[in-house]
Amino acid sequence: MSEDATRTLGKGSQPPGPVPEGLIRIYSMRFCPFSHRTRLVLKAKNIRHEVVNINLRNKPEWYYTKHPFGHIPVLETSQCQLIYESVIACEYLDDAYPGRKLFPYDPYERARQKMLLELFCKVPHLTKECLVALRCGRECTDLKAALRQEFSNLEEILEYQNTTFFGGTCISMIDYLLWPWFERLDVYGILDCVSHTPALRLWISAMKWDPTVCALLMDKSIFQGFLNLYFQNNPNAFDFGLC
Amino acid sequence: MLEDSARSLGKGSTPLGLVPEGLICICSMRFCPFAEKTRLVLKAEGIRYEVIYINLKDKPEWFFKKNPFSLVPVLENSQGQLIYEPAITCEYLDEAYSGKKLLPDDPYEKACQKMVFELFSKVPSLVGSFLRTQNKEDGAGLKEALCKEFSKLEEVLINKKTTFFGGNSVSMIDYVIWPSFERLEAMKLNECVDHTPELKLWMAAMREDPTVSALLTGVKDWQGFTELYLQPGGL
Repeated sequence: MSEDATRTLGKGSQPPGPVPEGLIRIYSMRFCPFSHRTRLVLKAKNIRHEVVNINLRNKPEWYYTKHPFGHIPVLETSQCQLIYESVIACEYLDDAYPGRKLFPYDPYERARQKMLLELFCKVPHLTKECLVALRCGRECTDLKAALRQEFSNLEEILEYQNTTFFGGTCISMIDYLLWPWFERLDVYGILDCVSHTPALRLWISAMKWDPTVCALLMDKSIFQGFLNLYFQNNPNAFDFGLC
Repeated sequence: MLEDSARSLGKGSTPLGLVPEGLICICSMRFCPFAEKTRLVLKAEGIRYEVIYINLKDKPEWFFKKNPFSLVPVLENSQGQLIYEPAITCEYLDEAYSGKKLLPDDPYEKACQKMVFELFSKVPSLVGSFLRTQNKEDGAGLKEALCKEFSKLEEVLINKKTTFFGGNSVSMIDYVIWPSFERLEAMKLNECVDHTPELKLWMAAMREDPTVSALLTGVKDWQGFTELYLQPGGL
């Protein structure tokens, strides 16, 4: 069973107690791509953690003490330290925990991964807009064209580098930071946006072979179920697929 | 000679040669607040560097090869490696050079500085929009929005009970947010810190910092530049 297969906490719920020593807690939501980034890093580095899922349409009052605007993901340590913004959380985990390093050691290579992330920065918004447009039966030709352009930029990088992954021949932080949106292309109905980018498609296939990505891969029918309920404004959407 | 007194390079200019060993080159513009962040870090860490000024209204053709976004700042080292985006350049310098460290070693303290930077993130575009606005009503709305953002930063200083955003001495977060605050006076936005006394104290403390004072631009110079920059076809 996945570590994050727990029911969400909503308004009126009791706040969870302090985080036990030796663990880190992530406030999350099973279908959120930003939280997905941080969960990938937790898994890749084998960090012992507990997941508290938040009902994003019915946030617990106590959750605003964890994040001023109630966003996810948020990390909470056993010393009550709170870290948020998905990229800051991922970097924190890489710095704070020993073992496998996901960011390169070389300062220039680290900077390169961060510059790549900048190149990607329009993708989350565009994929969300495409999803909403499609679900609401609206036209999204322009949005898809814009997304294709962003993917072309990423394709150029892979072609220029001539490597499988964005960080080189092995998977690294940048690949995990980009992955969640590519995992969602199919279920969002916009897989055709990579029809013109063969290197990116190869990267997607290679990513699906990664043990960490595999371990967290979301079942398509469960994701569809979540999306159906979400767009019907059903507050139980976030718990879809749990026993 | 002041490092800042070279003329900018524009269309038709000769591309730069290789950066000599032991130096790093920054492509900059004298009045750019984003490039100023990187120049503050270069200065504070005592890194040997040379500055090339770019005419941002008439960019040299070769500049697009340095940065696909064709913005300043861009760093180029003697191995021909290019680094851009202000925050990325600052972090790169701190990691690559062995002098004074501006980012904390502790992972949580480092994350805190980045979270403060996120809190600050709307400020530059609000200031930029205010600079460009012709409309009094829009201007008033922007001022109000700016006050709101400053209140968030005030809260950080109140909670931390320290002079600077990273603690009791100046560090990376202070330098990366400083350029927006340096320009408040020239843009007649000083009133936006009237309700944030800790932030005002921080600004005064920053002006005392040797690195900040070495790179301060005079209010008149800033205003002169802005007037020309906002004219169509200006500069």
